[in-house]
Amino acid sequence: MDVLVQLILNGIMLGSMYAIIAVGLTLIFGIVRVVNFAHGEFLMVGMYAVYLISKHMGVHPYVSALPAMVLLFAIGALVQRFIIQKLLNADEHIQIFATVGLSTALINGALMVFGADLFSVNAPEVRKTIALGPMNVLIGHIVIFSAALALVAGLHIFMQKTVLGSAIRATAQNRYAAQLMGVKVERIYIISFGLGAACVGLASALIMPLYPVSPTIGSYFVLTAFVVVVLGGMRSMYGAFFGALIIGVVDSLSGYYIAPDLKEVVYFAIFILILIFKPTGLFGFGRGTE
Amino acid sequence: MKVILGAALAAGVALSSQTALAQVKVGALYPFSGGLALLGDESFRGLELAVDERNAAGGLNGKKLEIVKGDAVDPNQAVGEARRLTSVEKVPVVFGSYSSSISLAATQVAELAGIPYFEMGAISDPITERGFKNVYRTNPTAKDFANKIVDAVTDAVAPALKTDAKALKIAIIHEDSLYGQTVTGFQVARMKEKGLNLVETLPYSAKSVDLTPVILRLKSAGVDVVLQTSYQNDTVLFFRQMKEQGLKLKAIIGAGGGYSLTDTMKAIGPENFEGALNVDFTQYKTNPAGAPGINEFVAKYNAKYGSAPRSGHSLANYMGAKVILDALAGAKDLSGASVRAAMMKIDIPSGKTATGWGVKLNDKGQNERGSPYIMQWQKGDLVTVFPKEAAVADMKTGGGAP
Repeated sequence: MDVLVQLILNGIMLGSMYAIIAVGLTLIFGIVRVVNFAHGEFLMVGMYAVYLISKHMGVHPYVSALPAMVLLFAIGALVQRFIIQKLLNADEHIQIFATVGLSTALINGALMVFGADLFSVNAPEVRKTIALGPMNVLIGHIVIFSAALALVAGLHIFMQKTVLGSAIRATAQNRYAAQLMGVKVERIYIISFGLGAACVGLASALIMPLYPVSPTIGSYFVLTAFVVVVLGGMRSMYGAFFGALIIGVVDSLSGYYIAPDLKEVVYFAIFILILIFKPTGLFGFGRGTE
Repeated sequence: MKVILGAALAAGVALSSQTALAQVKVGALYPFSGGLALLGDESFRGLELAVDERNAAGGLNGKKLEIVKGDAVDPNQAVGEARRLTSVEKVPVVFGSYSSSISLAATQVAELAGIPYFEMGAISDPITERGFKNVYRTNPTAKDFANKIVDAVTDAVAPALKTDAKALKIAIIHEDSLYGQTVTGFQVARMKEKGLNLVETLPYSAKSVDLTPVILRLKSAGVDVVLQTSYQNDTVLFFRQMKEQGLKLKAIIGAGGGYSLTDTMKAIGPENFEGALNVDFTQYKTNPAGAPGINEFVAKYNAKYGSAPRSGHSLANYMGAKVILDALAGAKDLSGASVRAAMMKIDIPSGKTATGWGVKLNDKGQNERGSPYIMQWQKGDLVTVFPKEAAVADMKTGGGAP
């Protein structure tokens, strides 16, 4: 029984890590309608940035969350402005190839600059555990869980209460109608892509104390994030948040009760079943619910 | 003008044929560029130092050795470069190759051409199990690694714990690519042979971001000893999460890979990696009494390259090349038959080379006296702890959460 509770708790913590990444991916997909295959590499870039900032300025990795988010926002906005925007009216495949190409370029760029070695930051207090009865929870995980909640709540308020948020929602619902209402759609796309990338900037500062960074670290997280996005209905950040928690728990339970090397099989099976039976996502948050 | 050109050409031809007379070429096939380049080059330096030594001692039959490099970044290029070395450069013998996939491809070309191929670093067993007549290997294989790891439990860990090895609950965890699967297959066979108690075998993806389920399984099973075959990221994750979940072990043994790298120790922290055992090629914190010539090698390396060796690969290649070149010096010529006769004559007992390995080839060309050593991370250093003659420190027990 203790093991089961510990596994579920761990799954939720793991899921909240996926949630922050998946919410960013959902923003980009839901608004700009581009599948960003370079999302994992944005995470990698963010983690190297956090590593460099903490190492050279001697600050805690959590403090570098802000500069990392600003940097990633800038990278996201530039990618949208100078790569995706040129391809907006091109075939969808072309956009996918563009982000895949960007991903390959970023991985190899990191290999050239940093080599294949691992880099980690020294933040032992984040790696301490708190005992909740018979269970152990990492302090770093509690921070990530709280940050994921705060991120979704913050984005909710931003989308519902601000003019810019309304413009973003309008663009997501109908690009042409929004344009007719005087929304500068291209600007909205740049901001949205930047916001999606900034989520990864937040994630990189929170993940860096727990996982060492290497050029391929992005692929460790992002494949799962894609499953989460589909599970959540592709365009809903609430769907992405709950989808991430579910995948986290499935990951944790199947790793223990089935086999550690078969957990991917379990959640990719879920992925395929959802695509076949409920393509609007598990919660029906799909089209038109932004 | 024509005359001058002709004279220059003639002079050139004369010059090159003159040097060719006094020299004998040897091929060196390693990955010199691409992702494997660092350790490929490190391996090559061992060969280069052995060739320098041979030349200083008079070369082969009075001829100086000249190395011709072949850059094999992957199996495809290995085939191309092996063909170039054997048919264009016309080298009589080839040395190599660090990586198993490169060696498997290049040895086929050499065998077809009837050119002797000396492998001094790749560990995949099939390299010497395909019935080739011209392939020789001085280093131990994956099976030797797996056997040594299991033997470490019976010969080193159990005596240190003052218990019977059969009473220990042992688990194998491994990343699920070819490397992990190969070593694990041999380990399971050896454990059956020795009648040990294997309670769990858990494969996992090296790209896992959470190994807590693995750790909880080990915890539920009450495991004493863990054998892990892993790369770098998964080793780091496992040790960190083992501490978080409070998993205590009596011993944990790695199979080279991530366990041999200083970066792994730095990411985990020396205090958390303390006591982790590792089985690998001979490293530099080894007692020279069990590996005569190891300190001289380090000194020569320093003098030639201006830094300490970057890994044990250069030492393994130096030792292999030295033994082979000494044998070739006694051969009539470098034809396949003469080389085979000379190689089969080698008979060096254990503890007499710079890696501590003995050399005696079986009829497949595989060295049967090469055996990896058992090492342990102690205070941030990877020190040899077993066997006794090569040890520089006593083995400690324990691993995982403090």
